[in-house]
Amino acid sequence: MSEEFSVVGKKIIREDGFDKVTGLAKFADDYKYEGMLHSVMLRIKEAHAEIKSIDFSAIEKNESLFSIITSADIPGAKKVGMIRNDQPIFCNEKVVTPGDVLAMLVGESEAELRLLLSKIKVDFTPLPVLTDPQKSLEKDSILIHPETGTNLIVHHPLRKGDIEKGFAESDEILEQTYTTQLIEHSYIEPEAVIAIPLGTSQGVKLIGSIQNPFTTRRFVANVLNLPLTKVRVQQAHLGGSFGGKDDTMCILSARAAVAAVKTNRPVKIRYTREESILESYKRHPYILNYKVGYSKNGKIKAMKIDILADGGAYVSMSPFVTWRSVVQATGPYEIANVHTDVRAVYTNNPYTGAMRGFGSPQPIFAQESLMDEIAARLEMAPDEIRRVNGLKIGSATATGQTLKDHEVNLVRVLDVACGSTDFKTKWEKNKKNKSVVVDYDSSSPILNDSQFIDPGDLIKKGIGLAVSFRGCSLGAEGIDAAAAYISIQNDGSVYLDCGLAENGQGLRTTYSIIASEVLGITSDKIIYLELDTGITPDSGPTVASRGTIMGGGAVKNTAEILRERLVTLIKAEYKLADEDVVSFSENLVFSRRKGLIAKFPEICKLASSRGINLAAVGWYKSPSVHWNEESGQGDAYFTYVYGCQVAEVSVNIATGEIYIDKITAVHDPGKVINRLGAEGQVYGGVTQGVGYGIFEEVTTDKGFIRELNFDTYTIPTSKDITEIKPIFIEGKESYGPWGAKSLGEPTLELGSAAISNAVYNAVGKRFFNLPLNLEEILLSKKLRPADTKRGSLL
Amino acid sequence: MMPSFEILFPKNLNDALNAISLYKEDVHIIAGGTDVIPGLNQESKRFKNTRLLIDINRVPEMKGITVDQEKISIGAAETFSEILLNEIVQKKLPLLWKSAGTIGSVQIRNRATLAGNFVNNAPCADSVPVLLAYNTKVEIESLNSKREILLNDFLSAPYKTKLGKDEMVTRINIPIPSSKLNGDFYKLGRRRAVAISRITLALLISLNHNMIDEIRIASGAVTPIGMRFFDLEKFAEGQKVEDQFLKELSKKLGEQIIQVAGLRWSSEYKLPVVQQIFYQLLKGIERRSL
Repeated sequence: MSEEFSVVGKKIIREDGFDKVTGLAKFADDYKYEGMLHSVMLRIKEAHAEIKSIDFSAIEKNESLFSIITSADIPGAKKVGMIRNDQPIFCNEKVVTPGDVLAMLVGESEAELRLLLSKIKVDFTPLPVLTDPQKSLEKDSILIHPETGTNLIVHHPLRKGDIEKGFAESDEILEQTYTTQLIEHSYIEPEAVIAIPLGTSQGVKLIGSIQNPFTTRRFVANVLNLPLTKVRVQQAHLGGSFGGKDDTMCILSARAAVAAVKTNRPVKIRYTREESILESYKRHPYILNYKVGYSKNGKIKAMKIDILADGGAYVSMSPFVTWRSVVQATGPYEIANVHTDVRAVYTNNPYTGAMRGFGSPQPIFAQESLMDEIAARLEMAPDEIRRVNGLKIGSATATGQTLKDHEVNLVRVLDVACGSTDFKTKWEKNKKNKSVVVDYDSSSPILNDSQFIDPGDLIKKGIGLAVSFRGCSLGAEGIDAAAAYISIQNDGSVYLDCGLAENGQGLRTTYSIIASEVLGITSDKIIYLELDTGITPDSGPTVASRGTIMGGGAVKNTAEILRERLVTLIKAEYKLADEDVVSFSENLVFSRRKGLIAKFPEICKLASSRGINLAAVGWYKSPSVHWNEESGQGDAYFTYVYGCQVAEVSVNIATGEIYIDKITAVHDPGKVINRLGAEGQVYGGVTQGVGYGIFEEVTTDKGFIRELNFDTYTIPTSKDITEIKPIFIEGKESYGPWGAKSLGEPTLELGSAAISNAVYNAVGKRFFNLPLNLEEILLSKKLRPADTKRGSLL
Repeated sequence: MMPSFEILFPKNLNDALNAISLYKEDVHIIAGGTDVIPGLNQESKRFKNTRLLIDINRVPEMKGITVDQEKISIGAAETFSEILLNEIVQKKLPLLWKSAGTIGSVQIRNRATLAGNFVNNAPCADSVPVLLAYNTKVEIESLNSKREILLNDFLSAPYKTKLGKDEMVTRINIPIPSSKLNGDFYKLGRRRAVAISRITLALLISLNHNMIDEIRIASGAVTPIGMRFFDLEKFAEGQKVEDQFLKELSKKLGEQIIQVAGLRWSSEYKLPVVQQIFYQLLKGIERRSL
């Protein structure tokens, strides 16, 4: 196909948009069934304790109670996990974090069931609580899961070149430590799922707010000890996920399914916001130590990185999250000598797993802050040092992978970002005008006269940037393939489905565009079917920004299979020469030589009457990648995307407030399929990046979360960012549909570093600990209340 | 979890007062419900045993904003959105108008009432410092009595007021301030909307040739409840508006806050910042008055 597109690259409104804004779309909690039971969870207020007994005798005869669901009711696996089976469906032996659920009550009324919870007597022995990941690996530290013999979840080493030689060759060496915080996905729809028993021959069906229906099916089948075919998972409209409705929803689905099978009634679980934040996994806090050696001309000679991730109470996705970190920890720079260790450890904190970004936002904050600091020491501009070291075509990454088969557009996104923001001029001007935030002395809370700020000096402007490269899709994490299904009806209308899931990102619209481009039909002819594991082929999880590159590839492949069948038919029926070219556009079919031949529906009717199969399942499999666990070397991902974001901020030097004036986001996602969808990804991702950079933090006290709702857990509002400007550089790429790659995650990984660098430009102070909240800006530290109590509740 | 309770929708003040006199215990007045409903949901002790809610939205005596020679009178069921739409409030009570615009979000302002803000008496109630600076009076009625007291006397402790069990706040009466009074309100939150205030300050000053004729200073969120700083006001009256004095006054505010609130986990941040903000407010008024 030529480079001219009829729909691809245009601004297309989401196919589910109307239903969502008018309230017609059904979310999981909107589904109700005859005889449906509700459920409530039994927890104890302990972060670490051995359960001796649970006494339900006080409630057993209560008429609000239909059934008590415990570990004893599980016919199959009692523990599950994405990578390691360490997470109990019901914690009947031990709790290891405050979100843990001991048992579940089901009955007609959720409200009445809740009243029963306090009457259950749980006898337990509290255990020492481990909350500091830096103590997890100490010899005398308590083991969270004693059967594993260690609190180490995973260790990824990476060795490239000769690190000592690299430092010896360096003119200067800089060492810094950074920390990043625990954060919550903040999907607007809390968890909800319904399990419906289908009888012994059919098993169980689940409808829920589920990110990855095939993963959920695997978990539930395992727990119920059923074949995969007897667990059918259907996805309801999803009110956000951001990587967060994976493990949690698998476990909730398993609980609901166990209850449905036991009671032979449909069972719904739905969480309040507080329960959602309490139990669901979060983004890993990291402690990152960087040691960098560099020459006077800015060339990085050696980088030694040591990263510790708090995995919390369960393994979840920690091994994969930290694997992406080890691949990308140096940033998008060609460095001859690299020595990286990334470890994840157990604690009693809320467990951590997948979240949009997946192991990249943490090292990017560190490494992009560091690059700016090196530039400042060498009196170079921020963009210059990145040009000196940035990856180019033929460069070798830290894992020893040579970049090829795509345009390596790192320097180009940087150039475009700097050009469109007038970066250099603003950066120089702000640097000249900067004034330092007042350093307050905590021992004397009353200001001295010189500390008062002149009103004219109150607001300082800053500009800063950050760049990244990001491996597309799963890489060496696992098998990477996706399937799509298209069925053309004899009236020319089309069913479309794919094994990857709509998570609100607009995937269904993207796939409809791809199908309509290949088949030359308008989007109103396409009906997108809901994802149902009983019908759609397994395509792995919808994660890692792989929707467009993998699922899109599968949809294109499927549409092309059917197109070829139609072309063969048309050539025979209309007696076209072999060299003639058939094309499809706007529901019409053309021959290059004869012009308009027929309308698309006529061709479909013809095909049907000739007995031609117009349904197909297509497939897209990624090229192979490889990885050496010991050396951390290999072709980690089959391709990469590149991005640069520029943050322009105003800093109030009296209060520490940061106002985001503008974020310019320049990304190379390959070919853009839906410009409107792509822009939406940028607006959303940048906003989440700002939240990560300056507002959001889940804090804990002995493992207990303080911010259990959005009154105290502050995500950015529409008033907190003045302008976001998306710019796309559509680099050439060999893989994906027409070279379309990934965008979802790159958009949110750059914000924190760009903002921190902008604040430095404004006030000349560096920050090492996210988020850059009010206290961090003024005092370079976080202040915390002594406990989790709240005045309004007393 | 939400307990079960009854809810009444009285059509006039008499019915409302009757209802509250009958139940007395375990009754809560509800207008917008932006404090009551989350309180019920979170099983706050204050709302735990609620058996009856009296919704005042249909009580005509508690609606409307009226103006006479001396005062602007705001009904207890008036929402912040209604206050924001009122041109007289905007003109005569600019600090109230400004603070009303900082409350929560549009959706919260559409429901939340000015009266609810101070009856709830959270330390962070955004409008309280402003109302205190305006010498606001609270009109309170029960079936057998009617009284009017200063808001400053009405507020007793965090989440506590002098409201009797059988009483309701019916109207908020704000004396129209002298046109010589110039002022400002500042709210610091963790973000620009839907933010619980970390610091609020309200300041009104009238100057007479560079001399402070009258000054009113009130704060929120840095003291256990919103409060006026009468000692500080007395100290400042008659003084010349000079940079050195404004700094001194700002430091004195910091000292007063330590006296009232002591040092808390947040003091290390809030104390220096409240002095800075206050100084900025003073300088702003100085600049506009010259």
